[in-house]
Amino acid sequence: MRLFLLTLSLFISLAAFAQQDRYQFDSNEQAIRFEELTKELRCPKCQNQNIADSDAVVAKDLRDRVLALVKDGKSKDEVIDYMIDRYGYFVHYDPPVTPATLILWVLPVLIVIIGFGFIVIRQRKASVKQTWSDADEVMLNKLIKQNKRQEQS
Amino acid sequence: MNRKLMAIVPLLIFIFICVFLYQGLFANPREIQTGRIGQTVPTFNLPDLMQDNKRWTDEQLKGDVYLLNVWGTWCPTCLAELDYLTKLREQGIKIIGLYYVQSYDADFDGPFDMQALRDDVSNMLARAGDPYQFNILDLERSLALDLGVSGAPETFLVDKNGTILLHHTGDINPRVWRAKFAPLMQELQP
Repeated sequence: MRLFLLTLSLFISLAAFAQQDRYQFDSNEQAIRFEELTKELRCPKCQNQNIADSDAVVAKDLRDRVLALVKDGKSKDEVIDYMIDRYGYFVHYDPPVTPATLILWVLPVLIVIIGFGFIVIRQRKASVKQTWSDADEVMLNKLIKQNKRQEQS
Repeated sequence: MNRKLMAIVPLLIFIFICVFLYQGLFANPREIQTGRIGQTVPTFNLPDLMQDNKRWTDEQLKGDVYLLNVWGTWCPTCLAELDYLTKLREQGIKIIGLYYVQSYDADFDGPFDMQALRDDVSNMLARAGDPYQFNILDLERSLALDLGVSGAPETFLVDKNGTILLHHTGDINPRVWRAKFAPLMQELQP
């Protein structure tokens, strides 16, 4: 049993080691940048996976290119622009505001504003105070009397 | 009046959703446009697929209108379009192949076997038709990445100055040719 656990623990530590060892970086900062980029860039082949996740050939190629660019000292934005140059805006999970995508930003805000406007207008209508004059009072009494007479007859 | 207007709103939303979803039926999510449209073919220097010691650069390709067809023997759709591409070649359209090596990994596949690949390509082209003037071998898929290629088959239309005018993802068939390529070709080669 003890031997079994020891062997098991050996496996776990090995896997963790292998994961870290797959890519070599000059600095920790580069490693973080690489990780962020591979999570933010989208695989053009198996859509809805980032390139860190995907096993497609093109995703591997993109990872390798990101690695080379990061090691070259390129900033995050420079790498993203490099990929957008080649694969279009599709490749980045954070689409820019353009006339075509504007509706994505504007529509939710618009719906909230219209909804609140609707509520406010209804509230205002409902809270309008009724005026009640002496003439109304007289009219009411008259109507009540009339009604009573009708019931009696 | 106001009430009638309010009654129309759900109908309007319904129509909007219908139009939106109907459009979706005909959209192809795999069709990804390269960011390279309107730019020149990226600089490259790559070997010929069939000949030793022969290399191709972007400069050598300038001066002609041509199709750059990304393909590989591993790709069934590429095999399917070879027949039609060969017909296009017979009509005088210049087609250059960019051979996309699917997954060459020294750790798994052992040393790269050039002769086996050449035999494979010759066999397939002899069987299905050979539309290519020549083939450029992109072993590392570096030019493919610079062109924004995500797989095969993909085709680029390039003009005399080396400017990329069109990018098509998927096979070329008579329908695609008529709709996408033919009007532009007419302008370029009247």
